[in-house]
Amino acid sequence: MKDLTELKKIEKYADQCMKCGFCSFFCPVYQEERVETAVARGKNYLVKLALKGEQEFTPEMGDIIGKCLLCKRCAANCPSKTQIDRVVVGARAQMVKDKGLGFIKNFAFRKVMSNRKAFGRYLKLAKAFQWMFPKTEGNIRHLPDFLKGLGHGRNIPTLAKTFLRDMVKPVYKPTNGEKPKMRVGFFMGCATDFIYPELGLKLIDFLTKRGIEVVVPEAQNCCGAAIYFSGDFETGRMLAEENIKAFKDVDYVVTACGTCSSTLKDYQKYLPDNEDQQKRYEAFEKKIKDSTEFVIDVMKIPPEDFKLRKEFEGKTATWHDPCHLIRYQNIKDQPRAILKALKGLKYVEMPNADMCCGMGGSFSVYHYDLTKKIADKKMAGIKATGADIVVTACPGCMINLIDNALRNKMTQKVYHFLELVE
Amino acid sequence: MLKESLVSEFQKIVGKENVLTTPEALKAYSYDGTTSWIHEPDCVVFPKSTQEISEIMKIANAEKIPVTPRGGGTNVSGGSVPWLGGVVLCTTKMNTIVKIDKENLTATVEPGVVLQDLNMRLAKEGLFFPPDPQSFLGATLGGIIAENAGGPACVKYGVTKQYILGLEIVLPDGRITNFGGRTLKNVVGYDLLHIFISSEGTLGIITKAELKLNPIPPAKKTIMAVYAEIAMAGESVFRVLENGVIPGKIELLDNWVINRIEEMMPMGLPKDADAVLLFECDGIPEAVEKETEKIVEITKKYGAVDVRVAKDVDEANKYWMARKAGFAAVFGKAPTVMAEDVTVPRGKIPEFIKRCRDLAKKYDVEMCILGHAGDGNLHPAILSDIKNKDLYERALKAMDGIIEAAVEFGGVLSGEHGIGLEKQKFFRRTVDPVAVELMMKIKALLDPNNIMNPGKIWD
Repeated sequence: MKDLTELKKIEKYADQCMKCGFCSFFCPVYQEERVETAVARGKNYLVKLALKGEQEFTPEMGDIIGKCLLCKRCAANCPSKTQIDRVVVGARAQMVKDKGLGFIKNFAFRKVMSNRKAFGRYLKLAKAFQWMFPKTEGNIRHLPDFLKGLGHGRNIPTLAKTFLRDMVKPVYKPTNGEKPKMRVGFFMGCATDFIYPELGLKLIDFLTKRGIEVVVPEAQNCCGAAIYFSGDFETGRMLAEENIKAFKDVDYVVTACGTCSSTLKDYQKYLPDNEDQQKRYEAFEKKIKDSTEFVIDVMKIPPEDFKLRKEFEGKTATWHDPCHLIRYQNIKDQPRAILKALKGLKYVEMPNADMCCGMGGSFSVYHYDLTKKIADKKMAGIKATGADIVVTACPGCMINLIDNALRNKMTQKVYHFLELVE
Repeated sequence: MLKESLVSEFQKIVGKENVLTTPEALKAYSYDGTTSWIHEPDCVVFPKSTQEISEIMKIANAEKIPVTPRGGGTNVSGGSVPWLGGVVLCTTKMNTIVKIDKENLTATVEPGVVLQDLNMRLAKEGLFFPPDPQSFLGATLGGIIAENAGGPACVKYGVTKQYILGLEIVLPDGRITNFGGRTLKNVVGYDLLHIFISSEGTLGIITKAELKLNPIPPAKKTIMAVYAEIAMAGESVFRVLENGVIPGKIELLDNWVINRIEEMMPMGLPKDADAVLLFECDGIPEAVEKETEKIVEITKKYGAVDVRVAKDVDEANKYWMARKAGFAAVFGKAPTVMAEDVTVPRGKIPEFIKRCRDLAKKYDVEMCILGHAGDGNLHPAILSDIKNKDLYERALKAMDGIIEAAVEFGGVLSGEHGIGLEKQKFFRRTVDPVAVELMMKIKALLDPNNIMNPGKIWD
């Protein structure tokens, strides 16, 4: 009998689908391709066949299951509440178990991304070749994607001169010299570490100015998003264990990356292999806070107390909802409350604010043409607002928004909400 | 299996990327919105124009290959399942809204346009397409017309056939033809247009449609009436109408459905009510106010124990969200759900509901009722499990009884889903034999090789 452990775990989710097909309306990939294999209903049906032993893990099946942004728009709007994201990730995990990761992914996930030092080395190497590509103000998210996904004519972001982890101290005391209100672990995440170090420094500064002690454990690793969402649960689990260990002595773990916060929270959903892991991952989830929710829900800063930095005065801003915030963590009101309350800034809501930008992590490497088409719709929404700046809270989205704004010859600049405030 | 040479013929016509033949793709085109009707095609073709469809049909007709037209595949009759294999002709890539004519209140669309996309576009012009099958998020106009779909708005606005002015059709032999036109009135020979509406893809392929539109009513109001006895709810429906109020929608949820919805998304529905009716009035604001008052008065007079008028859009949306969740609530609760689509004359609703409940008791099956009470189109659903033979057989018997009752009360087998495969076994039993004979002759005349969606409607 074939081993279907990973599929069995998601069988109950797959069974929820009643094939109504409403997902087609919400799926950014289906909206472009208009074929049934692109949409949740089709994917789910094939997974159900695989569970019955009527569908093999063919390369074609791999492509079908791979071609999902995991944006969760379908799941959020599903009348029968099918968690298709869990079905897709579970199916990927089963395929990785059966077939192993492809060479590129294998090399990238197991050898590079999960080894923080090697990751840094390869990035430096890549950095040395940056002159070959058009210079932009943006940045990139995942090194392996960078190595493999070079070209395609995209605007390749520059890497930071000095990585964040070479700049940070292990502990930052509150700047007012008082006894800390709480002790918070700062989770860097790859993008902030290697591409947006100033974002990390900004968050540390923001927190310590407000009486919080920030620790930056050196032992922290990649959150594992690209790894376990691709089905490599084994490496994912290894990263989970390392991160949990690295952050065991803090009240909260805060990150400026929407994907990281969501990924860390979701260890308990995807990765546990036994009850002990389930318990510990669930406990870890409770500590994780995205920067957007931390400042509002935990620090309880009234939105009107945020101060706009001078350079943004008189600007019009619009908010882009990262999938990992709005649908994975139900964070949508907090950033809007801040932006609306900032004196000197005008806020305009984007018609398709919750639409995926098309990045989807490694999705954009394998399906860059689709990414561009999906992003073009996002860009049309941004243009319709007449805003000067696009604000978000996920470096992954930022990279893609910058690339596509440039490609569409738009004047809008893209910022993390932390960059706007004092 | 299809000859390789034919696949390459199709590829020549529509382009290689628009012909799918991988086993995975064929599996993904083997189903529709029903539970158990599954059959794979031999290939899936995505045409981009009428001309391409015509060329495909010429080949299919010469080679006698079955062709099953399909849009969003949201239908619940088995209608778009390629029952005899062959070609699935999928229109999802023909999704252009060709024209919106504000002066004449019409729109010209390709068959693959999704209803919700159309209505979002029309809303910018202050217009809408009234027929509202609840699959509007995925349903395409070609399928909506072929199935003559309807929905809650039928009470006041009617069903699809009342909003189709003209159709461009590719016949099974590949000829391109036009029926109807662009005018509201049209008495020029036989009304061939309406033979194609509700033909379930068995006579030809709709390649373009001329739609009649309405302006969006400026005001809306939602009323929920709560009943301790479902038959009283049934009576309220025709009492409201006979008193001169025609609301936009009248929907019914029974106790079972109310409680499942409350489990899924608690929203404060009255859990001990035997049934609720949801009314929506729409029109000019003053009229909507008056109609709302009248509905409150009449429903109270005829047995509603509580009547709530939604105070704002949020509360109204909440109630309609509940109605929308109804089907999910039902389908999520049993491995096999038999959802009927019978329609009875409105005055018979109370008697019909009583009969349904008696049948459920007699055969000891779990049953719930929700539906478009305003037009007599109810969806009694029986919860069953095809793997549990005894339960399944009892469910089938109850279903038989429901259909017999509907016909006995002067109703029909299907109000809006169509026959397809799902209702086939009841078809001859409930339709006049002369009418069936004529239908089959029309089919033979237009499709002598029986290639258009074969295996549907009659066995």
